Amino acid sequence: MLSRRALMGVTAMLAAAAVAGGPATVRAQEESGTKTAHELRAQYDKDLKGKTIAFLPIATGVPLMDEWGRVIKTEAEWRGMKFVIRDPAANPAAMQQALTALIDEKPDVLIVQNPSVTLLMKELKRAEQQGTHVVQMNMSSNYKSDAFVGADWYEVGRILAEDVVKQCGTGTNTSGEVQIVQGELTAAASVDQIAGVMDTLNKDKAIKVVSNQAALWDANNALNITNTVIQQHPNLCASVGFWGIMESGAAQAIRNAGKIDKVKVYASGEGSQLDCDQVVQGNFYKFLSYTATSQGHDAFLAAETLLESGDKAGTKHHEYYTRPVWLDKSNASGANCYAVPPPPQGTAEAKN
Amino acid sequence: MAIETGAAPGGLAVWRQSLGRLSQEQIVAAFTIALLIVFALALPGFATASNILGLIRSISILGILGLGMGLIVISRGIDLSEIAIMAGPWCVALIANQHGLPIFWTPILALAIAVGIGFLNGVLVAFVEAPALFVTLAATFVIYGTAYWIAPVYVVYAPQNAAALLFAGRGALFGIPMPIIVFAAAALVIHAFLSRTSIGRFIYAQGDNSEAARLSGVALRPLIVLEHVMVALLAWLAGLVWIGQTGSMQMTIVQGTVVFDVILVVVLGGISLVGGRGSVFSVVVGCALIGTLLNAFTIMDVNSEVQNIIRGVVLLAAIILDNWLHPRDEETARQGD
Repeated sequence: MLSRRALMGVTAMLAAAAVAGGPATVRAQEESGTKTAHELRAQYDKDLKGKTIAFLPIATGVPLMDEWGRVIKTEAEWRGMKFVIRDPAANPAAMQQALTALIDEKPDVLIVQNPSVTLLMKELKRAEQQGTHVVQMNMSSNYKSDAFVGADWYEVGRILAEDVVKQCGTGTNTSGEVQIVQGELTAAASVDQIAGVMDTLNKDKAIKVVSNQAALWDANNALNITNTVIQQHPNLCASVGFWGIMESGAAQAIRNAGKIDKVKVYASGEGSQLDCDQVVQGNFYKFLSYTATSQGHDAFLAAETLLESGDKAGTKHHEYYTRPVWLDKSNASGANCYAVPPPPQGTAEAKN
Repeated sequence: MAIETGAAPGGLAVWRQSLGRLSQEQIVAAFTIALLIVFALALPGFATASNILGLIRSISILGILGLGMGLIVISRGIDLSEIAIMAGPWCVALIANQHGLPIFWTPILALAIAVGIGFLNGVLVAFVEAPALFVTLAATFVIYGTAYWIAPVYVVYAPQNAAALLFAGRGALFGIPMPIIVFAAAALVIHAFLSRTSIGRFIYAQGDNSEAARLSGVALRPLIVLEHVMVALLAWLAGLVWIGQTGSMQMTIVQGTVVFDVILVVVLGGISLVGGRGSVFSVVVGCALIGTLLNAFTIMDVNSEVQNIIRGVVLLAAIILDNWLHPRDEETARQGD
């Protein structure tokens, strides 16, 4: 640990020295290889090295946000950037305070996940006014900042429902009965996903939504609700859940009722190994992954682009939408599933 | 307030007197039975054996947790770390199992950690004399953090081939799902303990008037430690059922509202927060009422926001009813009178 810290210190000092002394010419003369390659890299380092990237998720300890954090931190540190993270532990008041404190530290880029469309709006605007680029992840606020990275929830819901219609809709000779397990009714991810789901399901007269309940992201709640639903509707055709870990409870209830081979269980989510395990074990029929690893890379790419462009914060809006990926037994393995990382920590030499 | 202090109008006073002879759990039980009849008549598919079994099964974990919370609230204590004790030790034990701990030792490791936490809680409350509310609230954070530090995973899955470990949540005896049997057995044991043993009676004495209990020779400090250990034991048992049911343990439930649901069924059934009142029957009827409502809402597909409103209103109604039937005065509301 100590040696790594010392090494990083030395690296930072070297970087500072290089920047001060006009890096392009110095390095090009000292090192062999093509001149252009050195110049390109020097320009790149000038834009990125020594910059600070701050990450404010709703909470850490969640597979989605931990994977984002892991990717952003790894990418940033390789480029000699400082990574800062705050964990408000899903507490909106703590999140606002953390955001205010982070903005006052004047990071170069701020990557933030909004718990609601309004909560952080004003502070995000202030960040861009003082020159910090703001990248919003997966859930946007009403303030359009420099970049948005994430899933289109309406589309996620629509894709889920289109497959449900294919399996349970007109002409499938099934009951057409569908259960929906939402997360929290007020969460943006739930609101837009259900809109996409319902708009699509309503187009097919054969589909009957027999239960539409919120399990508050909790697997045991999903299990209890589904327990009752599967008894009332023994011919249930499909169960759709808005998060893999929660929907695994619904799948368990259906398995307990001896119906796991008859009911098609769908879920959307970040696509970690936990989700893939559920698919492989036959609990999920299909899983729609919005690939947290790619989202992490997209977030970093957005940050990189903003820093390299030289644009003033708040002048442009870039969007980076995530392509959802269907996982089933044929591909729920290997690179399609990421191992859940430990919660990320800020860059070690953070003391100045 | 006017009703309580002033000369009550004749009709109301008579009502209150005759109702007042009923305990809160009897009133809640009667109300639950009335609801059951209404739903059985009005809701197709409600009064089937499988739905009723499903109903009871869905409240088993809540009930087991409620037994622990009930016991400690009767002693005029509280344990907010009960959910954390249910989740934390099991998460650590399951992770240890994934790293090679034999399946036989997995529940024993979880039990040892749970009891250890309960013991520590008890010592801090009894001997350091820190308020139980804050000790157990802080314990929640410590357990959550520590469990996460040891096992930084969000959901820990149980080994799917460990039939014995999963039996308590997944199996059935004579067609009755095991969670119901575990809840019933735990309820019987705690009932016998509270009503038939002298230590159980001491817990009521402590809740009624701890100073008087101490002066009459009850060793309060070891008793408090025992109470917290028993809460931990029941939390461990609830965790065992939980793991069997869902095949996993999730640390985030610690941050959810489960602990308030547990307090809700306890208070609803008539275990007053001032201590010394109520019994295991209170927990059972509290769970039955909540379970009946939730089951019927699910069948009717009621929006969960509306469910929350009704749950809140039911709790308020129970508290107001308790206040009306058992008006507090300075003498009974204060400690050490």
